[in-house]
Amino acid sequence: MSSTAPQVRRLPAIAPRLAQAALERARFTVVPRTRRSRAPRVPFVTFVSIILLAGVVGLLLFNTSMQQASFRATALEQQATDLGAQQEALEMDIQALREPERVARAAQELRMVIPANPAGVLHLGSGKISGRPTPASASDSIPLHLPGPQKPAVLQRPTVKVKVGAGTDGAPASNR
Amino acid sequence: MQVGLLLIAIVLSVFAGRLIQLQGIDPSSYAEMAAAEGSEIVVLPATRGEILDRNGEALAETVDGRMIIADPAVTSKVAPELAGILSQRLGVDYIDTLERLRTEGSRFQYVARQVPASKAEKVVADVAEKFKDKDGRPFAGLMTERDPLRIYPNDDTAANLIGFLGTPKDDGSAQALAGLEDSFNTYLSGKDGEARYEVGAGNQIPLGDNTVTPAVDGRVLRTTIDRDLQFYTQRVLQQTVQRAGGKSGIAVIMDSRTGQLLALADYPTYDVSTPYEFSDELYKSSALTDVYEPGSVEKVLTVSSLVDAGLAFKEQKFRVPGQLNRQDRPIGDYWDHGMLRLTLAGVLAKSSNVGTVLAADQFKRGQLRKYLTAFGLGQRTDIGLGGETKGLLPQGAAWTSQVGDRIAFGQSLSVNAIQMVSAVNTIANGGVRIDPTLIQGSATTDEGKAIGSEVATSRRVISADAARETMLMMERVIDPEAGVAPGAAVPGYRVAGKTGTAQRVGEDGGYDGSTTVSFAGFAPADDPRFTIYVLVHSPRAGAGGGSVGGPAFSRLMSFTLRRYGVPPTGAKPNQTPVEW
Repeated sequence: MSSTAPQVRRLPAIAPRLAQAALERARFTVVPRTRRSRAPRVPFVTFVSIILLAGVVGLLLFNTSMQQASFRATALEQQATDLGAQQEALEMDIQALREPERVARAAQELRMVIPANPAGVLHLGSGKISGRPTPASASDSIPLHLPGPQKPAVLQRPTVKVKVGAGTDGAPASNR
Repeated sequence: MQVGLLLIAIVLSVFAGRLIQLQGIDPSSYAEMAAAEGSEIVVLPATRGEILDRNGEALAETVDGRMIIADPAVTSKVAPELAGILSQRLGVDYIDTLERLRTEGSRFQYVARQVPASKAEKVVADVAEKFKDKDGRPFAGLMTERDPLRIYPNDDTAANLIGFLGTPKDDGSAQALAGLEDSFNTYLSGKDGEARYEVGAGNQIPLGDNTVTPAVDGRVLRTTIDRDLQFYTQRVLQQTVQRAGGKSGIAVIMDSRTGQLLALADYPTYDVSTPYEFSDELYKSSALTDVYEPGSVEKVLTVSSLVDAGLAFKEQKFRVPGQLNRQDRPIGDYWDHGMLRLTLAGVLAKSSNVGTVLAADQFKRGQLRKYLTAFGLGQRTDIGLGGETKGLLPQGAAWTSQVGDRIAFGQSLSVNAIQMVSAVNTIANGGVRIDPTLIQGSATTDEGKAIGSEVATSRRVISADAARETMLMMERVIDPEAGVAPGAAVPGYRVAGKTGTAQRVGEDGGYDGSTTVSFAGFAPADDPRFTIYVLVHSPRAGAGGGSVGGPAFSRLMSFTLRRYGVPPTGAKPNQTPVEW
């Protein structure tokens, strides 16, 4: 704030006359006091309050929606995991169906065997067949099962020989 | 006023002291405590890599699994009924489960491990629903935990190669017990990751701290095995061994041009989905771990070396007596004969030991051994399975002239089946030996060695002309009149091969009277695509390489040629005379 009291500075007498005149022109004068602005305060306060309130409410809503999204994300992740597990289970089923042993068994049940001779080759250009194709026979079939594990003698089921008593006419044996 | 200031000073001092305690003395443990409160750490498990066949069919894969855990404090009340349901749905033992569900003083008992996730969750949900209490609250006696499950969809197919995983270790890491699973455990395992985030009531807090270190999944191991061919090979081998009354057998199919193993069957073998039912002696590939004397199949290596060294040719004439008296004992043939006039082709076609020894007499000292080493005998093949033997190729003073004679026809040296098939394949591949491979591309074993088709090397052992001349002689082995193995013929195709019948070394280190019969060959002979080797240990007396190995070779070769669409070359088979 500038002081309202005019200060007259005098140049030393040796200053030239021209400078003296410029100084006279540049001298400050008191600005007349203006009327204080009487802008209404209420709208401004209301405006700020609304912004603040909207901000708080918005933040609250935003937070809530984030929470909702988080719940939803958790649920969807769970669903994805379940579906993934389901897909894996289905893929395992397919693999079990495509297993060579199962396919071979199904084929042999239909009386199909893998031929033991190479196929003939049909040359499309000339229509000739090279090689000596021969039909497969039942002797070409392959064993379908791996022999079971060898169990120790203790676990082998013993062969029980039962002697049927002759001439008892179905009567119970005496020494049962 | 002064009293008030003093009070304030005291309070501030206490605060300052606490601040120093918190920040100065042990800040990290407090920070951890704060982080642990309400934050959750989840291990992100790395998925173990699959083992695939050459066409991408899974031989071993990991699926999401669960362990089912019971809380006996809750389950003991309904134990009998619950055990009944579990044994029915999960295939667990009823009595064992019943005991677990009733265990006193325990709140944690395994009921089943490595159950497919969908099945486990369904069983637990059904049980929770069935045994809910009066207020409608679900039954809380069963829980699930993650427990990845390794499955082997093909049962015994390639079991000898894949191996299997045992029950996971306590830290949850896989416990590889055999085969490729074991030798490539690190490669397949990958590295577990970790996620750390703040939770509230089971849900992640938005904008909360969270850090994720992603898991590095294990890498896929692609083998050169053809699953369907492997299955067929195993079953044909099984049939061959059973019909010959043999003890065990091996069959190998190799791509002649690349050295890739398309099938490698061992018999007896085991079912990899139920390994514990079988003897642990079967958890290996005997084609690599077991050595034997190759017998007459080795003669093709001797003969091709002679031809390469310029010491013999296929029409070369030999007078072959019935018996050849050498230093320590006489050498004879498997059949009695007087003086025969055989060509070199005839010596091979009839598989004459005497004729081979006579021909091999022309080698300088050390020359045959140098060739056999170049063919790969006496060195590991390193195809990626552990426990391989080097075999035994005598050297230095151990290579006496008697030993040299016997080695010339395949005794007094021992090999494994993969060494032998690669050596025979050298002739099929025009004299260039290619490293046999079981892995496509390149993979690193747990020992830190990179192996696979990308890093396989090849080297010339004999000239292309020598290889071709040997092939022509091997064709005579299949001839119904000139040779000993007409059963190995593949109708319409030219086939080259060689039989072998060798005495077997028993457990006491001497020959025990049993034999190893084998057949190795390739087709089409004039443009080889596949090399196949079949051998049977201890067949019943009188069985030979031609009668046992030959027909099995023929079936396997026919199947392989058909499967890979190889047409006959149309050329006429070689007719070099076998006698003069």
